[in-house]
Amino acid sequence: MRLKKGTPDLLLFFVTMVLLAIGIVMVFSASYYDTLENDPYFYVRKQLTWGLIGLVAMFVMMKIDYFRLKPYVNIIFAMSFLLLILVLIIGEEHHGSTRWIDLGFTNVQPSEIMKLCMVLFLASKLSQIGPRIKNFSSGLAPYLLLLCVVGGLIMKEPDLGTALSIVGTAVVLLIVAGMRLKHFAFLGVAGMGAVAALIYQETYRLKRITGWWDPWAYPSTEGYQAINSLYALGSGGFFGMGLGNSRQKLDFLPEQHTDFIFAILGEELGFVGCFLVILLFFLIAWRGYRIALTCPDVFGSLLATGITTMIVLQAFMNMGVVTGLLPITGISLPFISYGGSSLLFSMLGVGILLNVSRYSNNL
Amino acid sequence: MSNSIKMKKQIGYIFLTIVIMLIALVIRLFWVQFVMGEELRQKAFAVRFRNVEVKAKRGIIYDTKGRSLAISISTDSFYAIPAQVKKSKKEKDIANKIAGALDIDENDVLNKITKSQAFVWIQRHVPEEKAQKLKSLELPGISFVEEPERFYPKDKLLANVLGFSGIDNQGLNGVEISYDKVLRGISGTIMVEYDAKGQEIPDALQKYVAPQDGNSIYLTIDETIQYIVERELDEIVKVSNPKKAGAIVMDPKTGRILAMAMRPTFSSNDYQNYDQSLWRNFLISDAYEPGSTFKTVTMSGALDEGVVKLNDRFYCGGFIKVGKEKIKCWKLSPGHGSQTFVEGVQNSCNPVFVTLGLREGVDVFYRYLYGFGFGKKTGIELPGEAIGILVGKKRCKEIDLATMSIGQANAVTPIQLVTACAAMANDGKLMKPQIVEKIQDNKGNIVKTVEPEVVRQVIAPETAHQVMDILELVVSNGTGKNAYVEGYRVGGKTGTAQKIIPGGGYSKTEYVGSFLGVAPVNDPKLVCLVVVDTPEGIYYGGTVAAPAFRNIIRDSLRYLQVPAQVEPDKISGNNKESLYLPNLVGSNIKDAVNTLANNKIKVDVLGDGTTVKMQLPLANTKVLEGSKVVLYTSVPAGDGEPELIVIPDLTGKNVGEVKELTKMLNLNFKIRGSGIVIRQEPEPGERVQVGGELMVFMGPKLENSVQQLGP
Repeated sequence: MRLKKGTPDLLLFFVTMVLLAIGIVMVFSASYYDTLENDPYFYVRKQLTWGLIGLVAMFVMMKIDYFRLKPYVNIIFAMSFLLLILVLIIGEEHHGSTRWIDLGFTNVQPSEIMKLCMVLFLASKLSQIGPRIKNFSSGLAPYLLLLCVVGGLIMKEPDLGTALSIVGTAVVLLIVAGMRLKHFAFLGVAGMGAVAALIYQETYRLKRITGWWDPWAYPSTEGYQAINSLYALGSGGFFGMGLGNSRQKLDFLPEQHTDFIFAILGEELGFVGCFLVILLFFLIAWRGYRIALTCPDVFGSLLATGITTMIVLQAFMNMGVVTGLLPITGISLPFISYGGSSLLFSMLGVGILLNVSRYSNNL
Repeated sequence: MSNSIKMKKQIGYIFLTIVIMLIALVIRLFWVQFVMGEELRQKAFAVRFRNVEVKAKRGIIYDTKGRSLAISISTDSFYAIPAQVKKSKKEKDIANKIAGALDIDENDVLNKITKSQAFVWIQRHVPEEKAQKLKSLELPGISFVEEPERFYPKDKLLANVLGFSGIDNQGLNGVEISYDKVLRGISGTIMVEYDAKGQEIPDALQKYVAPQDGNSIYLTIDETIQYIVERELDEIVKVSNPKKAGAIVMDPKTGRILAMAMRPTFSSNDYQNYDQSLWRNFLISDAYEPGSTFKTVTMSGALDEGVVKLNDRFYCGGFIKVGKEKIKCWKLSPGHGSQTFVEGVQNSCNPVFVTLGLREGVDVFYRYLYGFGFGKKTGIELPGEAIGILVGKKRCKEIDLATMSIGQANAVTPIQLVTACAAMANDGKLMKPQIVEKIQDNKGNIVKTVEPEVVRQVIAPETAHQVMDILELVVSNGTGKNAYVEGYRVGGKTGTAQKIIPGGGYSKTEYVGSFLGVAPVNDPKLVCLVVVDTPEGIYYGGTVAAPAFRNIIRDSLRYLQVPAQVEPDKISGNNKESLYLPNLVGSNIKDAVNTLANNKIKVDVLGDGTTVKMQLPLANTKVLEGSKVVLYTSVPAGDGEPELIVIPDLTGKNVGEVKELTKMLNLNFKIRGSGIVIRQEPEPGERVQVGGELMVFMGPKLENSVQQLGP
């Protein structure tokens, strides 16, 4: 298949760069007080490094034609799957969960890798089987089984947020690939049952639900994080307290530079800043799905849908948690939250998306 | 191409879903940041900001002439910020140094400074010397604030009325509690922003709200008269060692209390070290059976109601029969015999008063009982006033009426009795007793003046005048002779009551001797009650209480410069030379006595000293031969005369503070050196006279980096 190459989607590129810049600034602002005594630049230096690596990775992926990835999908997915198992064996434990593998010079988060690999894998397989997806046993079932296994492995770490976003993205891909509606309904009921079971299985998840429903009833325990997140956002008002002036980041709000960075952003930059960030993710959604719609082949279309959904769904989940719309799941905000693996694979994803965009609109 | 229409549709739905989700997010953000924003901001603010309270200075309590009885001085209170202490990683070392400087237990200190609190007091109101030592150590996480501390320059004087205030500047007793709201002022705050670990934020916002000092009050108490009363009570204690003794002096025309004192008492400065029972002001909180002093009430009612005339004749055979019961006169058989009403009062004859009570009847008797304010609080603005216990009117039998008429069966408080007697001295008008005269704000403006308050007209003015005349006769000829004061027309009534034994009946061994009187009777200036509870030896009111009454009235009238009205020669009937008294103050006591003896003037020496500190009457007063002069060698008691003041600790104060404090205490001071006070003469705690001189030695301020939060 030979297709004419066009220019990549410049708006998407631009939006990504703005998000990356906001992220680096916010990581510094949110984290410097925590490490003031040792090295206030500790986190921002690492984030900047990963940002640069991510940028390089994005450009590389932008150059590699996405359909050339197809032959490697299986092996990439297999390696990613192995890492997921490996993390449970040799992973580093932080705050009661085993999510990172220490490579000596840095930590990697296999679940973040799996996010992108799952999209690649599903896009490739689903584009191959075509309408067979409508058949439950021969089409849909193997993928559901795979999702259960991958989801189960990530839950084992445990990392509910990432598991949910992977499953959510995968389901979106299955829907777009043509899955039957009654299967989807069945999947929905089963999925909800599974989530309920998972919640009741771990008391901390139940506490998160109760803390979400009425955080003020547990101000120093389950509701603490939610309340302090709301304090930050509320203090921000319309224009915010000014960049660098957050008070909630002074150890009041835990995870202020990772999962709750959006709250600090809301406190410092106000509603204006928050709205801008949401707008940027809307632009990613718009450009991403537009690329998917105009892509010449099913693989590219599914790939673009998957990557876009992966980024925007996760962003929504994170901002939902921070604003108290959703219970706390422990999920980062793409491009903005501190975290090397997350940033790198988000950038890689955008790189692939940009590459797909070069073949869209050029029919 | 191979992209089906259906797939495109699905992607469109997904996009739409995502857009809806993002819109929901924007709505939620709007809600959190606008609608809930202010509330959340305030809550976050409350979490971050710590208030360090800056105590207001409590208002000063003055006597009626503006002499200070309670003042506020600044002392240092030390606290720890445990987070900062822990950060220094030298907790044990710090605790050790603090314990050394303050002379307290090291482990206690260690526990305090490592508590998981943001703020903890180590010790408050630290004496200056120790405070300097601790400040000079410059320990991390240890700071101090200046806190006002109450200081009573006259120490024990008026303690039971003044009460005291506690470590948090709160009134705990006496006027200090009844006027707490006025005196307390409004605390200020220093708000400092802290992070979640309790550490001050580097560029923290700080907000200082200055405290508003409390208002000052002027009592109706006259310090000099109070001194006189306290001195006389000390004398009573020396002579008859009673369980309790107390006295109240009131201005009958206004109801203002001029003096109120009791023994035993306590020190307001050091109240913790006295038994709580001593804090009680029994003159308003405890009721007792007044005995014969109460006969003034019976008599007033009977005269006002017209059931007795001055010349009515009575017969006393040592007892009177009431129904089947026999009430004895204090003078047993054959009793007082035949006597007029006035003679009966002079004799304090029980049968006379029982007869009066029975003539009045229950309704009339209770009308005057209530009229004079018994069975109800007088409303004096002091805490813990009792209402007393009256025999219930409905179940009052003849025998009850009889015993009530001679001051038994009913229990009244001393303040009720004084107030009732003041009504007799005030043309029959009952006044509300007052302890506070006016309130002054911290800028010196009078914000409230307590006006005298007439409660009711109890008896006709003519009756009141009759009562005064009769009471004068009691003093000049009757049981109250010991209360006679040369030169003044004094009226009064003795009282000797058996104490009630808990559980019923009267004690055979315990008595309350008292004297209730007025002077001068033609223009009453003072009403005074002296109560002596369970004296040793002689217990008659005429013996144990009347001399104190006499001395209080005599010295107070002279101090108030009430002109003498009765020419001494009219009493003795002789013609005598008059002369002007020389000034004897400062001279040797022996010389002074000789000088007076040479001029045929009698001398009373009070005190054990060798030099004359004060004389009454004052120098250049015209006196007659044979009249008496009182020379004081110890406790002075006169207007403008020296009074003793406890010297406060001035160490660490600057010139301004020294000036302020010495001015308040009416002391002069001299300064050597500059900076802050490092030493003083006399030493703190010593007593000097008003107008005395204080020498302060000043030196450079010790530099310290201890963060000073107080203003």
